[in-house]
Amino acid sequence: MASVIGAIAERLSQGGTIDASDAHAILDTHDLIAVGALADDVRRRMHGTRTTFQRVLEVHCDGVPASLPDALAAGEVRLVGCPPSAEAAIAAVRAASALVGAIPLSGFALADLQALAGGGTDALEQLCATLRGAGLQMVAETSVDAVNDAGAAIAAARRAGLLVTTLAVRALPADRGVSLLGLARTLQDSLGGFRALAPLPRTSSTSLPTTGYDDVKLVAVARLLATNIPSIQVDWALYGPKLAQVALTAGADDVDGVSAVETGMLGPRRSAMAEIRGNIEAAALVPVERNARWEAVGG
Amino acid sequence: MTIQKLADRVMEGARIDRDEALELYLHAPTAVLGGLADAIRARKHPDRLVTYIIDRNVNYTNVCVARCNFCAFYRPVGAPDGYVLGFEEIFRKIDETIELGGGQLLLQGGHNPDLPLEWYEDLFRAVKQRYPAFRLHALSPPEVIHLSRLSRLPVPQVIERLVGVGLDSIPGGGAEILVDRVRKLLNCYSKATADEWLDVMRHAHLAGLRTTATMMYGTVETLEERLEHVFRLRDLQDETAGFTAFITWSYQPEHTELGGHEATGVDYLRTLAIARIVLDNFDNLQASWVTQGGKVGQLSLAYGANDMGSVMIEENVVRAAGASYCMDEIEIVRNVENAGFIPKRRNMHYEVLGDPIFRERAVPRMLELAVARTDGDTSRSPEIDRYAARSAAEKAARRSSAEDKAGRTG
Ligand code: SF4
Repeated sequence: MASVIGAIAERLSQGGTIDASDAHAILDTHDLIAVGALADDVRRRMHGTRTTFQRVLEVHCDGVPASLPDALAAGEVRLVGCPPSAEAAIAAVRAASALVGAIPLSGFALADLQALAGGGTDALEQLCATLRGAGLQMVAETSVDAVNDAGAAIAAARRAGLLVTTLAVRALPADRGVSLLGLARTLQDSLGGFRALAPLPRTSSTSLPTTGYDDVKLVAVARLLATNIPSIQVDWALYGPKLAQVALTAGADDVDGVSAVETGMLGPRRSAMAEIRGNIEAAALVPVERNARWEAVGG
Repeated sequence: MTIQKLADRVMEGARIDRDEALELYLHAPTAVLGGLADAIRARKHPDRLVTYIIDRNVNYTNVCVARCNFCAFYRPVGAPDGYVLGFEEIFRKIDETIELGGGQLLLQGGHNPDLPLEWYEDLFRAVKQRYPAFRLHALSPPEVIHLSRLSRLPVPQVIERLVGVGLDSIPGGGAEILVDRVRKLLNCYSKATADEWLDVMRHAHLAGLRTTATMMYGTVETLEERLEHVFRLRDLQDETAGFTAFITWSYQPEHTELGGHEATGVDYLRTLAIARIVLDNFDNLQASWVTQGGKVGQLSLAYGANDMGSVMIEENVVRAAGASYCMDEIEIVRNVENAGFIPKRRNMHYEVLGDPIFRERAVPRMLELAVARTDGDTSRSPEIDRYAARSAAEKAARRSSAEDKAGRTG
């Protein structure tokens, strides 16, 4: 197995890329350190030590509050949850849009919008246009495995004026995600405009969760396979600081889902900002806060 | 020396000194540290076996006079939620451990002034009488020192008496960082100085006991002091060869007086790796999934660990400080195999006992670690009244319970 990884490393060092069979070989190997180092090399060539993160305020679409927390410092307000109807989705966007001011407003999973629109691509485009008109700026989740005909759906959302910048994976298929990462690469080739790929599945079996090895290798494979997508993203809230931080040493360079409000989970002594910055720095990387438009914010 | 030269030296099997270790710890990329640690792990364990033990982590009392400021577990003498387990409760825990395929208790507790040496002797004797083959991995060095002070007997004699009634081995708890500057800041200097901790282990090894060694990092120590700790362990191991394994974990700050925040996952993997590199005379390094979670716990196997520690069954100390991860045998085995290793059950001496027990017979799943006592259980240990009370609080408690009884019968 070491020779397989060695051969891949050799090819990568000469500027080559990996294919699906290499991806499977990497997922099969147990040489985690070598795999992480391969992906870290690519990440460093692309980004150096720069590591972006964004603070997100999640608001459930079922109950948009009357106001947002005072002095909210978030790079994105995100409407989460699946609204029961298109009307409910539009109402939630209107309510949230009235609150967010200059903070970008994202919302919904593209797959859910497809279901709400009911018909084909035209119906989706129409719903997206209405949501855009109500103040939505971007789609929050575009899981390539959950959306039907992802290319057409993303193009429709974009025609309607919504940003779709990040591709994600909702659940790992039997091939451990290689086909989905390949699809993400193809979508970038055909449509362009994607800033990040979040390869770790957003849902995981509670009885058989993915392991640390699985997660780190998948992040590494994503970095090596989807070299046409600038960033590999991990979710701070979903995967936890420890795993997310290790992922930053194995190919990932962007952290989503950092809380924009202090939940008290970290105790009274450490803010979410101190936590994320401290973790990135402890991995010998340089934290840069960004917003949902991928603009650097703060000092 | 450059990192590359140092790495080459480590790969050749050379022993590194303090300055070289510091250079690596401070400046080597994490992947380099991991690669070196993994190579050493592979050299020491070429069969790709990763072991674990089925035992139960029991804390016989949470009453403690030491009052370490990093500890969220202890209760002061006389606290309403202070407890001492009764012998029957401990037997019940042993029965449950045996049902899960275990053969040992890791038995540690607070420094309770109302539990004299005789209480421990009676407990150990009773356990061994009921469960002759069951092992007692018990009483970390500060507890041994506490008993030595209470009984006014020298440490070797305390060890001898405990071994006489069934003590099998000594866990390496209470080491924290073996540097007195740090121990003073953590308010654990008086429970045991660095030399005293090491001395208990020296005596234990001389008495023929095997012990483990631990390090809790991430409080107030410098990186140099962390390494000093590891080197002091290496020196003693050169002298006695009595340590079976080294276990490190990060300080868990929730609900402690000291507070602060926990060191990160990468810190943990780097610390584990440098320990694997320095401790060339230790056969085994454990992963601390109980503080790092299952995922980083598993990643430890790539950074020098060759052992997944214990299924624990019960845990009170780390949980009190905010972490509550659980891995039963099935989950440990799944993680070991997923990382490409062969899981084997072991005993405290790291002798392989066999394949996973759940593949031999049905074992109940354990999705949550048990606690010492259920919430609201304030019952008194029935045995404690057999021994003279020492603390004013305990004397008062006994007086009031005697008055209660008199009131009820009068
Ligand atoms: S760490 Fe041990 S000795 Fe220190 S206060 Fe806690 S129980 Fe007592």
